Amino acid sequence: MVCGRSSDTYSALAEHILKWAASSDPGHVMWLNRNITKQKVGEEELSGLLEAFATDATTLASWMKQTFIERFYGPRPHPFVRALQRPTRATLLGYVVEHQHFLRQWVRSAASVIAKTDRRDVTSYEIDNIVTEFGGQGSDAPAHYELLLRMGEALGLPREDVLSTSPLPRTKQALNFWAKLAERGHWVEIMAAMHGLELIANRDLVEEGASMRYFDPAILKDEAVPEAVKDFLREGYEADVAHSEEALALVEKYAKEFGLQDRVRAAYLQSLDAFDLHLNARLERGRDYESA
Amino acid sequence: MKVREAACALCNSEWGDHWEEVDGQRMFFCCWVCARAFDHMVQEVKRRTGWEALDEVKIEGDYRGRECAAIRGAEAYRFRLRFDPETGELLVFEPIASV
Ligand SMILES: [Zn+2]
Repeated sequence: MVCGRSSDTYSALAEHILKWAASSDPGHVMWLNRNITKQKVGEEELSGLLEAFATDATTLASWMKQTFIERFYGPRPHPFVRALQRPTRATLLGYVVEHQHFLRQWVRSAASVIAKTDRRDVTSYEIDNIVTEFGGQGSDAPAHYELLLRMGEALGLPREDVLSTSPLPRTKQALNFWAKLAERGHWVEIMAAMHGLELIANRDLVEEGASMRYFDPAILKDEAVPEAVKDFLREGYEADVAHSEEALALVEKYAKEFGLQDRVRAAYLQSLDAFDLHLNARLERGRDYESA
Repeated sequence: MKVREAACALCNSEWGDHWEEVDGQRMFFCCWVCARAFDHMVQEVKRRTGWEALDEVKIEGDYRGRECAAIRGAEAYRFRLRFDPETGELLVFEPIASV
């Protein structure tokens, strides 16, 4: 549940966590701080809290949503989300350069789900997903990846420059996590880790408590904003709601069937950490274009 | 500097047992990342204010973002920050204009 290691009982898990926490291991300590409690409790009490955390009555999908909101759209929204409300050219270019690498890994992860699953609904879903994100359907419906590169071009950054720029260390670290999960994880974990992130653009999160949307939709009507920028933002804004809800429903169904709820939660929390790093890298990259 | 004794000087957690010196003072932290983060914060405040030492840093919020006030005598310097959760480096440090 914490580090991907599975335990048969909650008391065995509590014992494991206590051992690592006693030696101040940041991974285990931070996990306790964020998810369970900052107060030091004994093994028995911790075991009860862990069980309550793992078996809380909310469905997996709504837990994923709530966790996402708390992480990125709470009272102190992620700085990238704040920057994207009324984005500058620099913020958008940072987005283009780092996100390009994210989308490449995205396709690898989706392909890995297809390779590993034996469920037809999952195969179809991921094929659609790859087409939307990367393949595109002719000139009427370019892929999200293509729209991203066009946004960069409209802002004066040639695609060759985008494609030849290596990811920043924080993006690289995040990509390593997703790549490793795609290689070694169960396909349900991979799906949760990827599609849970699409919640970032889900405009319905506001109704479930998010403090703001991904960006101020007024941008889509702003004449000063280049068309290619609007096309990219609109695509995510309109497509991802149904898309991410459908994925979460698949995750929930199959996590239950395979008894993988704990592992799915752990993978999802780690994926949120990776995503947080990647969002920071977008901001960091954006600073390169600030004075340019 | 005034800090908690039985909980992490940065995040208020009672877990862990990591002691480190910040400005010559031994402090309790839950892990080395918090220790590193706390040190970065103190050094950044000193750099920006020119203060030689701080009496206290009041911290609100958590890893998703914190709002802080560094206190020295009757003066307060307010700022917003966010750390890299893996390394404790400063990702965001924004002074909050006093009203
Ligand atoms: Zn701490």
